[in-house]
Amino acid sequence: MESAVRLDHNHELTVKDLPYIVVWREDRCKRCGRCTAVCPMSAIEPSVVTRREVSSGEASPAPKVTRKTVVVVRQTTDIERYCTGCGACTLVCPNDAIEPVFNPQHKLLFHKNPGGHPYRRGGRRNDPRESTLDHLKFTRISMLTDPALDAGRHEFRIRTYLGRILPPEEMPFRVKEDKLMLAGGSVRFVPPVREIYPVMIGSMSVGALSPTMWEGLAMGVAYLNEVDHMPVVMASGEGGIPPRLLKSRFIKYFILQIASGYFGWDEIIRAIPDMVDDPCAIEIKYGQGAKPGDGGLLMAEKVTKLISEIRGVPQGVDLPSPPTHQTKYSIEESVAKMIQAMSMAFGFRVPVYPKISGTRTAKAVLNNLLRNPYAGGLSIDGEEGGTGAAYNVSLDKMGHPIASNIRDCYLDLARQGRQNELPLIAAGGVGKKGGLAANAAALIMLGASAVSVGKYMMQAAAGCFGDEMNRCNICNIGRCPRGITTQDPRLYRRLDPEKVAERVVEVFRSLDVELRKIFAPLGRSTELPIGMSDALCADDADIAERLRIGYVC
Amino acid sequence: MAKVIEGNRNEQRTNSRVLDEEIREAVREGLTEIHVVANGQHGIGGRLWGFPEPVTITVEGPVGQRLGGMGIFGTKIIVKGSVSDDVGWLNCGAEIVVLGDAGNGAHNAAAQGKLYVRGSGGARCDTMTKHNPKYDPPQSWYFRDVGDTFAEFKAGGIAVICGVEPRNRNNIIGYRPCVGMVGGVIYFRGPIEGYSESDVRLLELTPQDWQWLKTNMRPFLRAIEREDHYRELTKDAGAWRKLIPLTAREREKTRPFTVSLGEFRKAVWEAGVGAGGIFAEYIDHPGTVLPYITTGQDRRLRPSWNNGKYAPPCEYTCPSGIPTWQRTRLIREGKLSEALELVLAYSPLPASVCGEICAHLCMQGCTRGLIDRPLDTEEFGKASLELSLPERGKPTGKRVAVIGAGPGGLSAAWQLALKGHSVDLYEAEEKIGGKLEYFIPKRRLPRRILSAELGRFRKMGVSVHTGVRVDRERFDEIYASHEAVVVACGAHKPRIPDMKGASDMVPAYDFLRRANTKEAPDLAGKKVVVIGAGNVGMDVAAEAFRLGAAAVTAVDIQEPASFGKEREIAESLGTKVVWPRFVSSWSVKKGKVTFTDRTSVEADHVVISIGDTPLTGFLPEAVHVKKDGWIEADEAGHTTDPKIFAIGDAVSPGLVTHAIGHGRQAALAVDALLTGRPFYRTEPRPVIPFERIKTAYYEVCKAGPVELDAEANRCLSCGVCRDCHMCEAACHYGAISRVEHEDGTYEYVVDDSLCIGCGFCAGVCPCGIWEMEENP
Repeated sequence: MESAVRLDHNHELTVKDLPYIVVWREDRCKRCGRCTAVCPMSAIEPSVVTRREVSSGEASPAPKVTRKTVVVVRQTTDIERYCTGCGACTLVCPNDAIEPVFNPQHKLLFHKNPGGHPYRRGGRRNDPRESTLDHLKFTRISMLTDPALDAGRHEFRIRTYLGRILPPEEMPFRVKEDKLMLAGGSVRFVPPVREIYPVMIGSMSVGALSPTMWEGLAMGVAYLNEVDHMPVVMASGEGGIPPRLLKSRFIKYFILQIASGYFGWDEIIRAIPDMVDDPCAIEIKYGQGAKPGDGGLLMAEKVTKLISEIRGVPQGVDLPSPPTHQTKYSIEESVAKMIQAMSMAFGFRVPVYPKISGTRTAKAVLNNLLRNPYAGGLSIDGEEGGTGAAYNVSLDKMGHPIASNIRDCYLDLARQGRQNELPLIAAGGVGKKGGLAANAAALIMLGASAVSVGKYMMQAAAGCFGDEMNRCNICNIGRCPRGITTQDPRLYRRLDPEKVAERVVEVFRSLDVELRKIFAPLGRSTELPIGMSDALCADDADIAERLRIGYVC
Repeated sequence: MAKVIEGNRNEQRTNSRVLDEEIREAVREGLTEIHVVANGQHGIGGRLWGFPEPVTITVEGPVGQRLGGMGIFGTKIIVKGSVSDDVGWLNCGAEIVVLGDAGNGAHNAAAQGKLYVRGSGGARCDTMTKHNPKYDPPQSWYFRDVGDTFAEFKAGGIAVICGVEPRNRNNIIGYRPCVGMVGGVIYFRGPIEGYSESDVRLLELTPQDWQWLKTNMRPFLRAIEREDHYRELTKDAGAWRKLIPLTAREREKTRPFTVSLGEFRKAVWEAGVGAGGIFAEYIDHPGTVLPYITTGQDRRLRPSWNNGKYAPPCEYTCPSGIPTWQRTRLIREGKLSEALELVLAYSPLPASVCGEICAHLCMQGCTRGLIDRPLDTEEFGKASLELSLPERGKPTGKRVAVIGAGPGGLSAAWQLALKGHSVDLYEAEEKIGGKLEYFIPKRRLPRRILSAELGRFRKMGVSVHTGVRVDRERFDEIYASHEAVVVACGAHKPRIPDMKGASDMVPAYDFLRRANTKEAPDLAGKKVVVIGAGNVGMDVAAEAFRLGAAAVTAVDIQEPASFGKEREIAESLGTKVVWPRFVSSWSVKKGKVTFTDRTSVEADHVVISIGDTPLTGFLPEAVHVKKDGWIEADEAGHTTDPKIFAIGDAVSPGLVTHAIGHGRQAALAVDALLTGRPFYRTEPRPVIPFERIKTAYYEVCKAGPVELDAEANRCLSCGVCRDCHMCEAACHYGAISRVEHEDGTYEYVVDDSLCIGCGFCAGVCPCGIWEMEENP
């Protein structure tokens, strides 16, 4: 045992080394303990300190010492419990006595690897700068040149197609008695296509998300479809899907994801005979924008009874999703085999598309898919996407921004004259600064047929504390203070699924209004302006040149 | 007779500008009745201002757009047939009668005046009509029906749709009317298919409405020559309804969710996926929402009053396991003698060991050292010299042999005797005490103190057999005649390195043993080298100086393990400690010790002090002796023979206090064996981490003469509740209370229904008793 007399501050950090400094107002605090009870990191703790005053109150030196030991709330400098700045303490403090303040001089990355384990976290790229998308603006405002529409008055039908669309000459049409008919028999495979709302909720798994969050999102999606008649769909993420949902009619609003862990798929396959409807689509995940080349890991402590049942695995074991799909060694084999298998699972009635992380090799994948008659699209997830758990280095330094990636792919399709055949889905940092509609519309005008959002929904629907200054970002440890990414009922019951659903509905309603505001001056009310890049300009000449759009200043 | 103005002249259509000028010219001339035969001209009958007399214009033939546009009070226009778009556009008071249908956008932006239409209105009629409070509101009357998107952004004015012979029998006001309507009213008679619910609401007519309608119906019907319908249209107020805009306040209050999410969840979602939602099958908690601050089972953390769960560092670090914290507590309670007597339950030699020679690991561990200096346990030891003999347990009649009367053997014998067993203690030497007696320099352990304590030991009733060297034969006898044998023979076989000159080197224990007798070598002026600079080596060095050595060098192959008083004394006398050095030879003749690095040091006398192993030849084969010479035994002394226990230096080299502790542990194991109880190897309590002790409560004390009372008050009571009530006071929720039990003990308990798991009790506890743990 270490000798007591030798203990000092050797090798201790100071709060100045930490990313957030907890400012605690002693004069306001009533020591009720709400802050320390709620802190997910136990970064603040009650303690006692000595106050000692030495004074002299007489006309000549007459020392007087007053000593007091007082109860304080103190911030720990233990790197394992560092304050992440989530602000749950501020939220619950009745007296405005406590608040974490960002410390720009912090040295977190120098220290956050005890035991030789690199820093892992959830959240998003810690880069508070504006994304490329936020440099884009809609500069084609038709008043007298095109029929200008009124977003408030005109009826809009903002829809897109998911699934491969055959060019007219390849459609097996024939003319019979002066009527256009589809040729019967197996003349030509007609791929399944879905008409959906062009902004979808991206893949977040049951497991990564808490049951209240997931069900809230799902319920909101159902509401949008059934009450508001907005065909918004949601991708399940890897980790299975609750059988009750699988077997309900709502399944048609969901895209089922299969990823390298194949979690939950035996449950899904067994449920297929009992399914009353097909899912919207199948997404094969090859990569995630937030952490390209990094797999997933659901920590054993998050693998509760619920997760184990839905994923079809034992309770309390680590669940790794490897960075790559095993048993597949080439793009042809990997993509063709998976698409074929997943199409077959649902009798070729469901569109199947792969999702990759943003990459300079995206065009290679795209052209491969173009040759594959069963490929229903390509989803590209840019570097500013979010994740539940990843290595910091993957989050911060790996990946490709979505704007130029989607643009390159679209232009490649356009060069081949096939831009209307294979829908591109763009994701990753959409709505980074809150401008969901503007970012989504910009991506559509750059060439995306649809846009997928995940992180934005966490923020908007459940008040996620995370931001690009590394606030909170502890989605990986199961102690999400909002109850979004945890399997602990004590935490996730903070979240009311009805409220989440209501926010989802509100978000999509307002998104819809904003999209109309953007599309109306283009004179578009029914046709999505996919690739309509003459409506788009950048306020940065380099961005404009790279994206091959106009530059305005 | 009306003046006729032709819209066609010489088979040429008159320009709209020209026709307009002709009408104005006629009016200027004072004509009040004008008949226009139109041919698609724009704006017929508008802007006839600046004339005193009312003008009536009748129109036949195809009319252009915006007939009566910007018309003013006093203008009356009667169109014999249908009109094109925007009839009455921005009407400022004209009365316009259309005896056919009106095109799209009729009465668009009208502010005053009347529009009577005998037929239907087209799409987008009555948009942007408004009511200037200075005038009567505009009226738009449609005998049949109107087209889609009626009354958009209507800000005032009255529209009446009579619904006679409608084109669409299911909907007389078209698709999606009233978007953005903020003023005015629409009376209609007949079925409709929806309206902009976020803008207007649908109501029955009030008596005032009905009265107005009936009053104004007649002039309308007269104007369109359909008076025969009056009875039909005014016979039933219930056939009419009206749409009026929501007020600004109402608009604010509009529920954006016509179906609330709660309703949707129950009626649609759970109806589709099952009661309780998609995860209901897997969760066993209520579906209610929890606040951030929770109590009871819903707390993430809960406090636990773990009094005694952790060992205070003094007890933990003392190899003999002496609980100094108990002594200080008893002293604080005023029970000084009890406090001192306590030590005899752990060691038979507190004054000699604690009081004199011990390295005091307990003091190194003492948390008080963080504030000023550790508690002075040496004083506690010294104060224990005169303690009287503790009470022995009831004789059990069981016989145990202990071989070796060094510290370990004495400890084992003492403990066994305390438990009432008959103990035979065998010692090869003439005196008991082992290394304490024979090897420890007198300077460090005054022999009167040792004698006093050994005297107390002898009173314990142990049968001491000195001068008995136990060999194999004797061992077998002992083994046969006792129920257990504790081997505490120490280590007496010096390890001698294989090198030139080794045979002339003196083993440390031989040296020390002789140094305390008349056989002591005369080292006057000699240069002495001690190989091995551990604590024994330091004792050797100090004794060498005492015996006159001019210089002593202690060498070691690594950083020397010596510490504490031994090292201090030796170095204060002038011992030079050098390391790392590997001795390669000693030339007695040259008086030089040479190292492997070819350096050397002068040496007349070399003492080898690199450790000793036990002499184990007397043990039966059943007892396993390890390759390196030590007896294999665990922390309770169990050897490979269940009846034989081995302790102290015979098992591994250690301090005197280690041997004493080992002896006590072995005694517990032997006792268990003899009484037939199972021996549970209790995991030692973990030591309390320093940071759990709140040193902030304590003031720095100046050093001075050591008083036991003062020392007891300096004790921080690590890991042991001092009953100060800080936790009770700190708890904002009053969740903590102190409960006293009948036996006089107490505990602090938590009311889980009040506790939020904030950890303030743990944060303020001076002793580290309260601990926050995950709430399962």
